[in-house]
Amino acid sequence: MTIRKFAVIGALALAGVSLMGLSAKAEDVTLTLWSLDKDIQPAPNLIKEFNAQNNGIKIEYRLIQFDDVVTEAMRAYATGQAPDIIAVDNPEHALFSSRGAFLDLTDMIKGSTVIKPENYFPGPLKSVEWDGKYYGVPKATNTIALYYNKDMFKAKGLDPNKPPQTWDELVEDARKLTDPAKNVYGLAFSAKASEEGTFQFLPWAQMGGGGYEHINADGAVKALETWKTIIDEKLASPDSMTRGQWDSTGTFNSGNAAMAISGPWELERMTQEAKFDWGVALLPVPKEGAERSSAMGDFNWAIFSSTKHPAEAFKALEYFVSQDDKLFKNFGQLPARSDISIPETGQPLKDAALKVFLEQLKYAKPRGPHPQWPKISKAIQDAIQAALTGQMSPKEALDQAAEKIKAVLG
Amino acid sequence: MRRILSSIRDGHGFDILLVAFPLGFLFLMAGLPLIYNAVMSFQEVDMFSLGTFSRPFVGLKNYRDLFAQPETWPILYNTLVFVVGSIAGQFLIGFGLALFFWVNFPGASWLRGLFLVSWVMPGLVVGAVWNWILSGDFGVLNFLLRESGIISGNIFWRSDPQYSLYAVIIANIWLGTAFNMILLSVGLSAIPGDLYEAAELDGANAWQRFWTITLPMMRSSIGAIIALGLIFTLQQFDLFAAITSGGPNNSSNVTQYWAWELSFRQYDFAKGATISVIMIVFVMFASVVYVRSTRHEVRG
Repeated sequence: MTIRKFAVIGALALAGVSLMGLSAKAEDVTLTLWSLDKDIQPAPNLIKEFNAQNNGIKIEYRLIQFDDVVTEAMRAYATGQAPDIIAVDNPEHALFSSRGAFLDLTDMIKGSTVIKPENYFPGPLKSVEWDGKYYGVPKATNTIALYYNKDMFKAKGLDPNKPPQTWDELVEDARKLTDPAKNVYGLAFSAKASEEGTFQFLPWAQMGGGGYEHINADGAVKALETWKTIIDEKLASPDSMTRGQWDSTGTFNSGNAAMAISGPWELERMTQEAKFDWGVALLPVPKEGAERSSAMGDFNWAIFSSTKHPAEAFKALEYFVSQDDKLFKNFGQLPARSDISIPETGQPLKDAALKVFLEQLKYAKPRGPHPQWPKISKAIQDAIQAALTGQMSPKEALDQAAEKIKAVLG
Repeated sequence: MRRILSSIRDGHGFDILLVAFPLGFLFLMAGLPLIYNAVMSFQEVDMFSLGTFSRPFVGLKNYRDLFAQPETWPILYNTLVFVVGSIAGQFLIGFGLALFFWVNFPGASWLRGLFLVSWVMPGLVVGAVWNWILSGDFGVLNFLLRESGIISGNIFWRSDPQYSLYAVIIANIWLGTAFNMILLSVGLSAIPGDLYEAAELDGANAWQRFWTITLPMMRSSIGAIIALGLIFTLQQFDLFAAITSGGPNNSSNVTQYWAWELSFRQYDFAKGATISVIMIVFVMFASVVYVRSTRHEVRG
């Protein structure tokens, strides 16, 4: 008897819930959003807050893995099942926008009071552009700079407040800091045959007056020669060629490298693990007064052109952008905006580092934008590895890369 | 109608049904994807035409382009070295271990079971562990070699183009040895003991017994394990992803990793498919050899 009673109550309750659910669905516009952010990262939390506003738009979230973002999105778009909004890695943005897969937001941005192009750093903004139009909004940004161990600088008689400014100084300091007896390398960086290698090398090429369109410029060749000197003289571990930035910087944290080139994503771990005094400096330049550059990472928001609710999707983006000022405090990510001042964290090392990264961001340049970026990047990676393993001279390797890139650019 | 029905219940119809079912299953699950893959290798494919079937045919262009690339031959050669090296290592050590445990000392079967630990570990975990062992500056292997005086300076297993492929081979041998050992152990225990007794009575020594009884009786086991080894090494992907990523400068790149790299890193699906087709041809060839070599086998 009781079981039956419960069953009836249960059925009634279920019916009530589904009725309510149905009625809510009938009014709300439902958007789908894909990103690679996990629970503690921005996207799912922003969506939760956005849905809590009850403004007639509901967002459904789907988590995709970093490696699958592009392939999943492409497959979905090709079969007409693309989400309304997606977060895509900035060098891959142009792949979509050039083929009309992303919605042109230029006019909507013009009419928006929240999203204003002039608020953004030039690098991230350029990555959402294609053909002079905006096809997205930067979600967050990051860049790379030079971390250095001040204690080791002191121990080797170097001024801990004068980190290397030029490539020559970097190599010179690395020579002084390298100490094989103590298992200490002068520098840690990544020349891996993946996007990470390109990410680290391209700024050097750009500072030398090169770029992906003319990767064999004299300055770029000089950059690769400098890298080769660092590897050949064992000023950095030969494993730099197969190690990513995270693992390389790990050796800096454990005191096995005196300097490291990496990004602000290291700050959290470094404040916990590094048992020494460290600082951050801008990436060294070819010679004093030369043009600065740096890498630019992180994702962009975009709306698929196949969406049925472009206005609502844009509204969601506007909400995300309006929360940019909390991005660092809540999630440790840097907003791609120059108009937001990031509040101090109370940890002096971290705050000092942040200032340098924000300064470095002004010089950050996107990779591309070009729809065939992965192929361009591959040519650059091949050149780095061919030169560093000694199978080609830096000049030959970059000439070959330039040849390959020319074929891609057409 | 009735004749058909009765034939299905008991007759040729039933046989046909028995054959048709697995064939249909194979065609759906393996045949179609294979054909699709082969078709793709003759087409121009990019991310946006992935969802449709009507893509422009380009004939042999993908194949020509592929072989015009300077890295193609070295990668094919690496694949050969990897397959031969891995199978030889896995088989010899596995066979050695199987013979060792066949002696049946106290606890032999327990210890043999424990060896399987390496086989049940996921490739990515094995890769991560070997990554640390092979690491140039702080790797365990370098430490051991240095302390025992075999090398004076560190070998950068993962980053030295001369060693990187062997680094992955070493890890793969470790991963596959236990599986070889178990299959070979099964084969060994299936050999009737009286054969050895008779041989011993006739005065055959241990070496002769191994050469004239063990090896011939193990022929089908060995054939099977080598064919399986070929399949397992050709699909070994995780170790490359975890240890060298095919680098530096493609010195440890093999076709299976390269196919993935082209398809899902550079989004060149046609080329990825082209490499896969070339791999299929090799695997087909190997399986034909395998089938032929074990066809006349009579199990003792």
